[in-house]
Amino acid sequence: MNETLEKLSTCILEGDSEAAPGLVQQALDDGVVPKTILDEGMVVGMNEVGDRFRRGDMFVPEVLMSADAMQSGLEILRPELVSSGVKLIGKVVLGTVQGDLHDIGKNLVGMMCEGAGFEVIDLGFNQKPEAFIDAVKEHQPDLVGMSALLTTTMRAMGHTIKSLEEAGLREQVKVMVGGAPVDQAFADRIGADGYGSNAVAGSDLAKRLVGAG
Amino acid sequence: MRANYQVNSGVRFQMLSDDQLEELFESVLHVLEYTGLEVHHEESLQILKDAGAWVDGKRVRLPSYMVRRALELAPRSFTIYARDGNPEHDIHIGPGRSHFGPGPTCPNFIDVETMERRPYVKSDVPLVAKVVDALPNIDFCESLGTVDDVHHDLGATYEFAGMFPNTSKPIVAWSYDKYDSEEIHKIAVAEAGGQEAFERRPNYIHYCEPLSPLVSTEDALDKLIFAANHRVPLIFTPCPIAGGTAPVTAAGIIIQAAAESWMGLTIAQTLQPGLPFFMGGVLSVMDMSNMILAYGAPELSLFMAGITELAHYVGLPLWQTGGCTDSKALDEQAAIEGSLSAYFSALTGGDLCHDVGYTESAMTGSVFQLAMMDEAIGYARRITRGIEVNEDTLAVDVIHNVGPNGHYLREQHTRNHYKTEFFYPNLCDRRNYEEWEMMGKQTMSDRVVSRVQDILATHEPSPVKPETEKVIEEVLASAEKRVK
Ligand code: B1M
Repeated sequence: MNETLEKLSTCILEGDSEAAPGLVQQALDDGVVPKTILDEGMVVGMNEVGDRFRRGDMFVPEVLMSADAMQSGLEILRPELVSSGVKLIGKVVLGTVQGDLHDIGKNLVGMMCEGAGFEVIDLGFNQKPEAFIDAVKEHQPDLVGMSALLTTTMRAMGHTIKSLEEAGLREQVKVMVGGAPVDQAFADRIGADGYGSNAVAGSDLAKRLVGAG
Repeated sequence: MRANYQVNSGVRFQMLSDDQLEELFESVLHVLEYTGLEVHHEESLQILKDAGAWVDGKRVRLPSYMVRRALELAPRSFTIYARDGNPEHDIHIGPGRSHFGPGPTCPNFIDVETMERRPYVKSDVPLVAKVVDALPNIDFCESLGTVDDVHHDLGATYEFAGMFPNTSKPIVAWSYDKYDSEEIHKIAVAEAGGQEAFERRPNYIHYCEPLSPLVSTEDALDKLIFAANHRVPLIFTPCPIAGGTAPVTAAGIIIQAAAESWMGLTIAQTLQPGLPFFMGGVLSVMDMSNMILAYGAPELSLFMAGITELAHYVGLPLWQTGGCTDSKALDEQAAIEGSLSAYFSALTGGDLCHDVGYTESAMTGSVFQLAMMDEAIGYARRITRGIEVNEDTLAVDVIHNVGPNGHYLREQHTRNHYKTEFFYPNLCDRRNYEEWEMMGKQTMSDRVVSRVQDILATHEPSPVKPETEKVIEEVLASAEKRVK
């Protein structure tokens, strides 16, 4: 493995946002192709972060530092990936549904998805189905993620999926749902493509749904 | 006559010094004056502006004199009355008095027959209220669940309608919005004998929640204004999570939570001077591995003790938290976490301690946890009652009379005091081994379960007036129409 890529993967693992862009640039200058920089440098680091977190060896703030480092590196790498015709992992439109104000879980899912390399468009909380529709039209995401913490607002996730269908947009996105009272059976019932029991399961699911997991 | 003699009649617990409390207090004022909060409520924005607040769009900054005035207006001592006039069920809020009760709105419930976790349903409400009514150390009622099998917008109304006739202990009522607040209020006022009678002897407390960090939401303020206008004692309680929606440090989360509460206080006291007001709330940590708000963390007790001391420093009662757990079962973890937080809460003299009976980090309500905690609270209360020192309790004469080699079993002094000096457990087992074996080697959880079943089979709460029963029916019928 290229020494710079190794440094880059360590730098992601250590959550060093300042060093990441420079290492990406150095790898590009070394002539490493953008996709290799992503797959064999950054993603390797981020996968290790995931493993350590699952084992209980890393904590949320450290994982988020790594996610930040990932994003700061991607700022340099993203245009190169695009111009070399590589499809980016994907874009997620994320929000807490109508009537629901709980947002810290949703924020965590968003940051974990960023850590996995996704571009995340966070709509905030208490978002009507129309807000999701407008965002899908505007941003053309691969995924729509919805969070609900109340048994009363879980229904709004179903309504939002219906609205996506009615707007003829359902086919072009995958839908994932989560939040404390949500479970797989509920996700199946409302026709979501997947359910994440926590933020890491959410970003793993997002990867799987776009065929990158 | 004793001279220059100081009495400590209970266990004294103080964590923060006056200097530290002053620093916390000044920091809350600073946050309210310089950072300000967002207020998502037109009417409140106007009320605050007219009262002297600096309003920029939704952002409201409170000059500190406004907050000081509101604190001055809010009472430290008042009574919430039992609906049936039973003085034993009245709650006297004031220095050195702590009270306990369940929490609201868990999605799930531990079924009392099967012991399995399942969604909370309407028929669970009267059952929880009955258990609350019967347990000697539980002082107020919440239902431990969100009713799932009625129209979802009517959960709070059905809940109150189910609790009110089944306990005469005061209820702490939450609601979704001003509509169900109004429905709940109708029921309580009917029993009190009219609005004026209610204002003199309020029989329930209204609960609402701001949004951390630093937002007063539209629904929360709709409810707050309803309560203030109808002079319903009010709890305004945030639920910040250290490291997530609040600073990671104890001092930081306490001042943020206080700032969130005092925005509500300022609006409420402007509208209704002297309205009984509890600051909140639930302060705990975000578990940085499992990403939950931990209800069994030691920091919960510590944060709650800190905010209780701040509340008392400024002369407000506090909505405390304890008796809850992250455990999913009625097990050792549930007992440790619940008992320690209940005990710590009792030590602080925090005024109303809620969430007793919460399990699984507020996802599942359990009357078994509640009943187990009733015992822990009794234990805690015996300790916090402390040691009484007077001529009689010093027992110098008794010691002299009994002398060496005697015993105290037959002493009048023993007969006079053994009932009040000692705590008598309802659930903890002190039998000897043989007896314990003979009684079927029951564990703590076995005994908890039979106690709950016994209460459900035998306890009869005092009924509401027949007129109130009619009002409850009418309120439910018109609520059903409202959501049609
Ligand atoms: C897209 O894909 C995905 C994938 C995974 C996803 C995902 C999306 N979204 C989440 N995940 C998953 O990943 C995250 C990280 O692992 C996780 O996210 P979570 O959000 O679950 O976890 C967070 C990191 C930590 N957890 C939390 O932040 C929630 C904690 C609890 C205590 C909670 C809080 C903090 C709050 N609350 Co609310 N609150 C409760 C909560 C109890 C609980 N155990 O959940 C719950 C959810 N609340 C409840 C209630 C009833 C209410 N709350 C309300 C208000 C609030 C506060 C504003 C005070 C505050 C939120 C502040 C904020 N900024 O978010 C009110 C409603 C307001 C509204 N309209 O939304 C109110 C109605 C209170 C009232 N009675 O007035 C209960 C719901 C009951 C029910 N039947 O549904 C509740 C279970 C507590 C309880 N027992 O009462 C996973 O679920």
